[in-house]
Amino acid sequence: MTFLPGWPGGLAVDGLSAVLLVTLGAVLAAVLAFAAGQGYGARFFGLMLLFAAAMAVTVTATDLVLLLMGWEVMGAMSYALIGYEWWDERRVRSAGVAFLTTRAADMGLYAAAGFAIAGAHSLRLDDLAASGTPWRDLIAAGLVVSALGKSAQLPFSFWLSRAMDGPSPVSALLHSATMVAAGAYLLIRVHPLLAATGWAATLVTWAGAATALVLGAVALAQRDLKQLLAASTCAQIGFMVLGAGAGALGGGTAHLVAHAAVKSLLFLCAGVWLGVLGTKRLDALQGAARRHRTVGASFGVGALALAGVPPLSLWVTKDEILAGAGGSPALLAVGLAASVLSAAYAAKALLAAFRPVAGGGAFRVPLAQQAPLVPLAFAAAVLGALGLPPVADAWRRLLGVPDGSGPGAWMFALSGVLAALTVGAVMAVRRIPEPAWALHWLWLEDAVSAVVVRPAFAAARGLARFDDRVVDGAVRGAARGVQAVAGLAGRRVEFRVGGLVAAVGRAARGLGALARRPQTGQVHMYYAQAAVVLAVLVVVAVLAG
Amino acid sequence: MNENPADLAPELCVLAAAVAGLMAGMFLPRRRQWPVPAVCSAGLVAGLAFAGAAATRPGLMAFDAFSVDAITHVTRITVLGSTLAVVLLAAGRVRGHPRESEHHVLILLSALGTIMLGTSSDLLVLVAAYLLASIPAYALAGFGKDAPGTEAALKYYLMGALLGVLMLGGVTLLSGVGRGTAYPVLRAGLAGAPPAAVAAGLVALLAGLLFKAGAAPGHYWVPDVTEGAPPAVAAFVTTVPKIGAFAALYRFGAETSPDGWAALLAVVAAATMTLGNLAAFGQDNVRRLLAYSTVSQAGYLLVPVAMAGRTDLARPALLYFVAAYAVTNLGAFAVVVAAGRDDLAGYAGLLRASPLLGLSLVVCLLGFVGTPPTAVFVGKVLMFGAALDGDHAWLAVVAAVNTVASVFYYLRWIVPLFRRPAGPPRRARGATALAAAAALLSLALGIAAGAALAA
Repeated sequence: MTFLPGWPGGLAVDGLSAVLLVTLGAVLAAVLAFAAGQGYGARFFGLMLLFAAAMAVTVTATDLVLLLMGWEVMGAMSYALIGYEWWDERRVRSAGVAFLTTRAADMGLYAAAGFAIAGAHSLRLDDLAASGTPWRDLIAAGLVVSALGKSAQLPFSFWLSRAMDGPSPVSALLHSATMVAAGAYLLIRVHPLLAATGWAATLVTWAGAATALVLGAVALAQRDLKQLLAASTCAQIGFMVLGAGAGALGGGTAHLVAHAAVKSLLFLCAGVWLGVLGTKRLDALQGAARRHRTVGASFGVGALALAGVPPLSLWVTKDEILAGAGGSPALLAVGLAASVLSAAYAAKALLAAFRPVAGGGAFRVPLAQQAPLVPLAFAAAVLGALGLPPVADAWRRLLGVPDGSGPGAWMFALSGVLAALTVGAVMAVRRIPEPAWALHWLWLEDAVSAVVVRPAFAAARGLARFDDRVVDGAVRGAARGVQAVAGLAGRRVEFRVGGLVAAVGRAARGLGALARRPQTGQVHMYYAQAAVVLAVLVVVAVLAG
Repeated sequence: MNENPADLAPELCVLAAAVAGLMAGMFLPRRRQWPVPAVCSAGLVAGLAFAGAAATRPGLMAFDAFSVDAITHVTRITVLGSTLAVVLLAAGRVRGHPRESEHHVLILLSALGTIMLGTSSDLLVLVAAYLLASIPAYALAGFGKDAPGTEAALKYYLMGALLGVLMLGGVTLLSGVGRGTAYPVLRAGLAGAPPAAVAAGLVALLAGLLFKAGAAPGHYWVPDVTEGAPPAVAAFVTTVPKIGAFAALYRFGAETSPDGWAALLAVVAAATMTLGNLAAFGQDNVRRLLAYSTVSQAGYLLVPVAMAGRTDLARPALLYFVAAYAVTNLGAFAVVVAAGRDDLAGYAGLLRASPLLGLSLVVCLLGFVGTPPTAVFVGKVLMFGAALDGDHAWLAVVAAVNTVASVFYYLRWIVPLFRRPAGPPRRARGATALAAAAALLSLALGIAAGAALAA
């Protein structure tokens, strides 16, 4: 399908798109089934479907224009969904923060499209890598900025914290198969371009690694389940971004799919507890998992998978990424540290949910809300199969990425042991340090507010004042001046012009009276006048002839 | 030589209708003379039909003295149509009059003379046409046998007699120095003739034609006759003879092209339009106002006449303007007949008392000014174009200044229409319908000017 005449491109489904579409469809079905159990209205489902459709366009677009359209609609829908409960001012403000932050980063995509037209004379994603310098670098820079913004990587992570004000099903979809996944998808898709520039791949790799590490620490410090999960999403997406930068495309995609299952599962469980218990604070959720068997078991599976405990899914896919990035020991060290942190925060969540407390009987959960949890938990458990050697080969062929060496057995063992040990340690220690910088998401929002938002508002106010005083003042001054001149003209000139007009009128009347003088009514005078005039005419004729 | 009488079928129709009307009037009872206007109207309609048919055929020359060309076609159609309107306008007023049949027959004979004026291309025929067009009109002016009518008829006749005699002298002089009376002969003859003799003869010839056109210095009769004669006759003498006079002037100028023609006529045109407009300023009698308005319009009409032979625009400008002028003038006079009042104050509130009549008058008066989309607007535009194209920009400027000045007195008549009515309106259905038809025709000619000019 061609969208713009003369600019080849459109929608197409290849291996990567197919994987993402299937993931999107599965998660969407689960989330919508869950939401139906919570009784949302038509507006909610309409927005959710538009949101998912925009993601579908984004992942199937083969040119930048269509991708940009899907990308922008997705951003707008995220705003509408986070601020779904529009009567709550804080939620609407959160929606604004999330939208403006991602939107600011989206400017990179616009710039990239412009540079692509200028440099590559093509908007096709395949052709971008072939453009010449400096266009290639500029395109890559734009794409990286917009992808990092959409995926809530450093330094844009704070918007995902504010996005937690949206309904739980929205979080479940937004954190798994849409929105944040779109950035990771875009980086995986344009990996050839990143690799071609040289610096971009390294930058993306380290941005992902840094996010995985730092936001892991942030997640560990959170006291709110949804905030913990949000920060963990940043960290997990960081792994995918790391993979996209380092060339572990198969592992990155597998991680994306497995993480989608895990994270949507966890958010739906959090949504159940929020609906039933009315809280998402970790200390108030003590023992929540023990009070409903299906929900508790699903949450346990999801959290253990998130921790990277063998043999669950994220253990395998994360190791695939780390193996792909194995060239650099520093990167490997950071990756392993981030893995440990992810095991720690998952353990923190587990600890809170499963800590035995007295009192608090079992509660009932509607079947529509229970049902989606089971297949998601199953997927969270077994999607690690994507990393098994025979399946992994088929997976790479499907995605069309080159065969990489799978992670060595020592890597699997090391990370598995580390994860298990960390979980065990957290369970044993039960006390987690909660540094203020981590609790407050590195004060990123405050920093942005101080560095970008307040100066922007100050500049706007200054310009408004300039407009009021100088530009408007000039206009008002001009108006006053014209009035004064008009008054002057009215007194000095109008009088004379009026006098002139009156004089012309008087003269015309006088001439009119004169013109009637020959009409005496006496025929002999007519005769005389006619004779004189005819004589004059003869003179005229003689002179003219 | 072409001597086919069928080429003069419209004129013969009018003549036959006039003779039939005269004969019928002799034998019909005095109180039942209604067949006479019917016969006259039928003759005019038949003439119109023949004229329309002739307009589709190529031009020719009949009896070596009558040119049948575009000028003739427009003259015939305009004169016949205007005369028909006047007959209809007058029919109600003279119903049961002892000399009803004479009234209609005189109108028809004068119209016949007017058509011949516009058709002839021979000075002798021109003189005959002048007499035929004038003498019945003198009688018509005094038709009422009242004091103003008698005075008007006498002045009309005396002016016509003097200027007619001058015209005869001019014709004699021109035929003497030009060795002939036919225009093609004169064209060659006048070129080698003594310039002073040609100038004197030309001015003397013009005296008669300008008298018929109502232009300076032959305009003195116009206000007196318009005011004194019966309204329908006033409408006739200020409309119909002019058509033939302008056609004759244009034809003479274009076909003989004597030296100094453009300068002479331009001076006359400027003087006429200025005089007419200035004299109209102070008039409180609408018939005198209309009379001076016709003088000023005659001035505008003389502009394309002056440009005869100098530009291709002159002929369409004259023909379109003369037809537009006839329609508009008849409309205005029809309103005067229908309203039955001669003072400006009598028209207060006409628009509310009789919307149709008031609206027709507004259309006609704005038409005189040359407001789009009326017919005179197109005529004036063509006239300005002819003046500019003929290198007489000063004449166009004079005409433009006069047009602006004329707005004053036409508005003096329009403004009272919007006031509160003073009394119940007078009922005159026929005249009102005629006024409305003229206003509509004026608008139609203005809007469809492109099509009319192309045809």
